Amino acid sequence: MKGFKQHALLPTPQHDEQARQDFVGALRGHLSGRVMPGNYQLFERRVAPRFAAEHGRPPGEEQEIRDWMTREPYYQFWSALQRRSQELLWESVIDPTEREWSELIQRARGGKSTKASKRGSLRLNPSLTVPRYHAAADIHLQPGGYHTDFTSDDIAAGAIYDKGINLYMGGALGSENDLMGNTLLAYLRERHPSHQPKRILDLGCAIGNSTVVWARAFPKAEVHGIDIGAPVLRYAHARAEALGAAVHFSQQNAEGTDFADESFDLVISHIVLHETSKSALVRILAECRRLLKPGGLMLHLEIPRGRTPIEKFMHNWESYNNNETFSRYMTRIDLPAEARKAGFAADEISLEEFVPKMDVAQMNYTQHFFWKILVGHKHGAA
Amino acid sequence: MATRKPKKTTSKTRQSGRTPKSKSSVPPPDAPPRIARVAKGKKPQYFSDPAIDKLLWMTVTLMEELSVTRDRLDTVERLLTKKRVLKATEVDLWRPDPKSAVQRDVRRKAFVDRMMRAVHAELDEVLRGNHRGAEDDPVAAVES
Repeated sequence: MKGFKQHALLPTPQHDEQARQDFVGALRGHLSGRVMPGNYQLFERRVAPRFAAEHGRPPGEEQEIRDWMTREPYYQFWSALQRRSQELLWESVIDPTEREWSELIQRARGGKSTKASKRGSLRLNPSLTVPRYHAAADIHLQPGGYHTDFTSDDIAAGAIYDKGINLYMGGALGSENDLMGNTLLAYLRERHPSHQPKRILDLGCAIGNSTVVWARAFPKAEVHGIDIGAPVLRYAHARAEALGAAVHFSQQNAEGTDFADESFDLVISHIVLHETSKSALVRILAECRRLLKPGGLMLHLEIPRGRTPIEKFMHNWESYNNNETFSRYMTRIDLPAEARKAGFAADEISLEEFVPKMDVAQMNYTQHFFWKILVGHKHGAA
Repeated sequence: MATRKPKKTTSKTRQSGRTPKSKSSVPPPDAPPRIARVAKGKKPQYFSDPAIDKLLWMTVTLMEELSVTRDRLDTVERLLTKKRVLKATEVDLWRPDPKSAVQRDVRRKAFVDRMMRAVHAELDEVLRGNHRGAEDDPVAAVES
């Protein structure tokens, strides 16, 4: 897409591969711009009035809307097309990745072309168990998810994810898929301008697209990124080195890491919490509190899940159709309450809405966008 | 799949991989690894008749390949123009001579006939059913 930065770890699509990616972009742009908004109109003009006529009240619960909307041919067509566009998105990226697979693996291993002077590091743990909430279904329909090695030293999941999320958001994630990192960084600079972290931990970092933002913003800090997926971490490491950022990646589950107590003054995640589970969420938040130094900050960037019932229903399309299984529970969860369960004091926790001065061009399920940030500020000397 | 671990093979042979999705057709041990094309998880049904889901699935795939083909044709025309084999407007202004017009007409009609077979099939079945004798029933034929 427009302005996406090609780097050494990305395959270069051939003519027809590029044409397929271009088609996916055109189809998804049409679906989000021209078809998706019609679901809201359909609801207001037809579904809600009919529901009200039958029940004598407007539809209240998201489930009631689901029962009615999923019977509507317009919604059915949009859903089926949206789903197919998501499958085609991955297919269009998998083909060039598989064609250049062995060269990409060579480059990721740090072949002759890469500088020997490594800035960061990579620590894998082959005995780590992939949590059920990632193993049960491939999140976002990416075949194999974040965690499947299809060959030795595999990086395919990372290369596919990198280009895939660029296509998913129609390029809106930025030239290095850095929108989320930049957003959370903008929040920190705006609301906590004096916070100067020396050690930063990024949870569920995948390909490190956000982690690199933090490493660049705080060049003197020691920056760590963890994830459960080996192929995305191999890719993340090679990508960060190629981009000249110093990040220490390790294969760990955020529910319980091997880092020391009170060893970070900033623990962050970027749209990760909704890919976990009810119990994992509390464990992750408890782990954050354990890892934070007194005065340290925890920042979890999350996707908004809608304000009105119809918005909530539309946001949850991903949950039912794109293997974001936990996100439907996130719609109802009180995040500060979960953080209190995890050991945070009530006055250490807040949930904030944040709209940075950035252009988010293409929205798949809503036209009103804002971010949610779960903030934990651990008591003690800053 | 969840506990799949990278196996220690050399990069040159790379024989360890096997897509976890293809349980029914396990590739031979020397087959190169493939990246899975199908995601694990429940596949939703959107329409009351699953055949409609499949038809729409196929239609979008056709849309994609048509888009790719148009792009490719455009590339070929632009390359031929750049290399001065074609003039910029030559394709648009081209008219078939009588012989090629007939050939194209035949091919085009055959294509339409083939595409419309699904529509005709329904009526054919109704009409044939009226005249069909027991000997035309393949199941009855083999059970006798």
